[in-house]
Amino acid sequence: MSRRTERRGIHVDQSDLLCKKGCGYYGNAAWQGLCSKCWREEYQQVRQKQIQDDWALAEKLQREEEAAYASIQGAQSQSHSAAATSQQPQAHASLTPFSKFEEKKTNEKTRKVTTVKKFFSPSSRTAAKKESQEGKTPSPSIGRDAGFDTDQVSKDFMDFLKNLQKPGRDIHKQCRAFLISLSNKKHDLGADELSECVQDFYQNLADRLIGHFKVSSESVEQVMDQVEKYIMTRLYKSVFCPETTDDEKKDLATQNRIRALHWVTIQMLCVSFDEEIPEVSENVVKAITDIIEMDSKRVPRDKLGCITRCSKHIFSAIRITKKEPASADDFLPALIYIVLKANPPRLQSNIQYITRFCIPSRLMTGEDGYYFTNLCCAAAFIEKLDAQSLNLSPEEFERYMSGQASSRFSSSNGDVTDSASGSDAMPSNPVLVQLNRNLDMLSDLSTRQEALNEAAAKLQADLLSWTENVKREVNDILERYPLQVPSRTVSAIDTNNIENNLPPPLTPEVFAG
Amino acid sequence: MSGMRVDVKVVMLGKESVGKTSLVERYVHHRFLVGPYQNTIGAAFVAKQIQVGEKCITLGIWDTAGSERYEAMSRMYYRGARAAVVCYDLTDKRSFERASFWVKELKTNEELCQIYLCGTKKDLIANDRHLRQIDYHDAQDFAEEIGAQHFETSSKTGNNIDELFQKIGEDYMSSEMELMPAEEPGVDLNQKKNSYFYSCCLSN
Ligand SMILES: Nc1nc2c(ncn2[C@@H]2O[C@H](COP(=O)(O)OP(=O)(O)O)[C@@H](O)[C@H]2O)c(=O)[nH]1
Ligand SMILES: [Mg+2]
Ligand SMILES: [Zn+2]
Repeated sequence: MSRRTERRGIHVDQSDLLCKKGCGYYGNAAWQGLCSKCWREEYQQVRQKQIQDDWALAEKLQREEEAAYASIQGAQSQSHSAAATSQQPQAHASLTPFSKFEEKKTNEKTRKVTTVKKFFSPSSRTAAKKESQEGKTPSPSIGRDAGFDTDQVSKDFMDFLKNLQKPGRDIHKQCRAFLISLSNKKHDLGADELSECVQDFYQNLADRLIGHFKVSSESVEQVMDQVEKYIMTRLYKSVFCPETTDDEKKDLATQNRIRALHWVTIQMLCVSFDEEIPEVSENVVKAITDIIEMDSKRVPRDKLGCITRCSKHIFSAIRITKKEPASADDFLPALIYIVLKANPPRLQSNIQYITRFCIPSRLMTGEDGYYFTNLCCAAAFIEKLDAQSLNLSPEEFERYMSGQASSRFSSSNGDVTDSASGSDAMPSNPVLVQLNRNLDMLSDLSTRQEALNEAAAKLQADLLSWTENVKREVNDILERYPLQVPSRTVSAIDTNNIENNLPPPLTPEVFAG
Repeated sequence: MSGMRVDVKVVMLGKESVGKTSLVERYVHHRFLVGPYQNTIGAAFVAKQIQVGEKCITLGIWDTAGSERYEAMSRMYYRGARAAVVCYDLTDKRSFERASFWVKELKTNEELCQIYLCGTKKDLIANDRHLRQIDYHDAQDFAEEIGAQHFETSSKTGNNIDELFQKIGEDYMSSEMELMPAEEPGVDLNQKKNSYFYSCCLSN
């Protein structure tokens, strides 16, 4: 499916042409949609980081090999803890190049210094702690989230190889040499070339085990599984969804596509799930969980394991629904449905990664390969899905895509319970019923809130006009009945005419302001 | 179970309802089911061990969804297959036309894939000769022309089904012999394009 040619549209959105960093310059596809300036910045950062990673990897591999030799040589006589302490000084000594590297970097006053610090300091801290704590496992951790896992994988790999005696040592040497040679070259290699390198390595190692060491083909398969795990755990970060491809762009496109297809129902796809049976919906949920989990795995085989588990749950769901084992005709549409429901993160990247780096025999012939092929098929189907694939008329399809129609119709029997609500019928699924009820309540709530807002605004306007009115009225009255102050001379005349026992005339009080 | 080693990938191709699933079901589980759910029996992937001479090999049989909805994707299924059972219904002329379409696809895309042209539902013809729509000799000529094997089978009676898959196993073994001439013990055969493999041992 990687070879599928992309359909090119004629219409180009102006925003597609601009640099993705949003700096305002035009971007270029060759620079992952960035302008030359942003690309240079971005690329240098990535490259810088990769160089650091490679440094760390090379150092780590060196330590591991020394440790492995030490423990292989002393495995029979020495106890585990004794072997562990003997490796301690090496772990310390090998840190010197790191600090040198760090020193050199601090001289540059770029902001990259912080990145370097961030990268190296946890490692040195862990190492320092380790020195003081005797008897602890000597695994020199890189100190990042992935560090522990990677160490555990290396340790398991060593343990596995120890049992293989001579071929084991050879396998280790080959793997190590391969990783180093690849880490020197990987910046210059495209995704397909990287894939070819890894596949060649698998092939050559397997041939060598059969040809040179006369290992049986079953054992070779076991060994190759371990080799894949070891190699790919290490390479994962730099080869999963690499910058040199547009895997990420495809991921986003698929994600949006699946979102736009949210309205597709079980019935349209002819899937034999009866989700009202609790056991069926349980299996459906598990299938969704498994396919989502795929993204969290680093080894291709583990990713395949998620797909296979997902598929088994789908088979169970169909079998319970139909009371018959499921066939290919039931399985594929059901898987498509699960993918639509799950919208698995980075689906395209994961498919590409597995295609590029999985042991080929597993992918081509075995059961895992069968389910993986179906997943590829489901992804392709979703990408190309049109009215015809769902037995809809083009107009209907358009209405669904534009959100004008909703797929809230009843499933098998099509009995209409409530046609007054405006939609064709009420959904049969209790969850959907609840959902619709909630939606109705929400829209009711929002109209009520709108009314409330309006009333509040009116009240405010009323209050404002009320004070205005009061003011105006007061002014009117004041104008109509102006304040008349009787003059002093008049009262003086009066006082002359009036007897002394009369109260003094009222004098108007004068208010300030 | 999913870790089971498989030697040969065998893919089932053909129009919907020609009897692909029934064929696999009969071969693997020795049963034929009739009823309202006929076209849902069986599993999509089965691994089956067979004895070829002294060797025991495992066939991985890939059933495919027959619906035309998924036809565009079928290429993904036959990629890397060493054998393809291209089925047609002896009583349905159109299914034979579809079969020749699959044959052409395989011829152009999968060189290593051996084709087995398979006329199904032979029991129906045994009951009523007039039902036959594809002449045995026409199909045989077509098969020879394209270098394919030709079988007529019945999943209902089991007629010719074990023979079909046994032949697939035998052909695989003999083609393997051709591809890989007898190994000379102790000789390292890996001096081909192993640029990473050996050159890198010298680094560091
Ligand atoms: N009489 C008879 N019916 C068959 C035979 N093979 C398949 N069928 C019937 O043909 C129908 C389709 O079979 P199925 O295996 O599902 O076809 P598929 O779509 O190619 O997988 C079912 O009803 C089967 O019972 C056969 O050999 N003889
Ligand atoms: Mg079928
Ligand atoms: Zn820019």
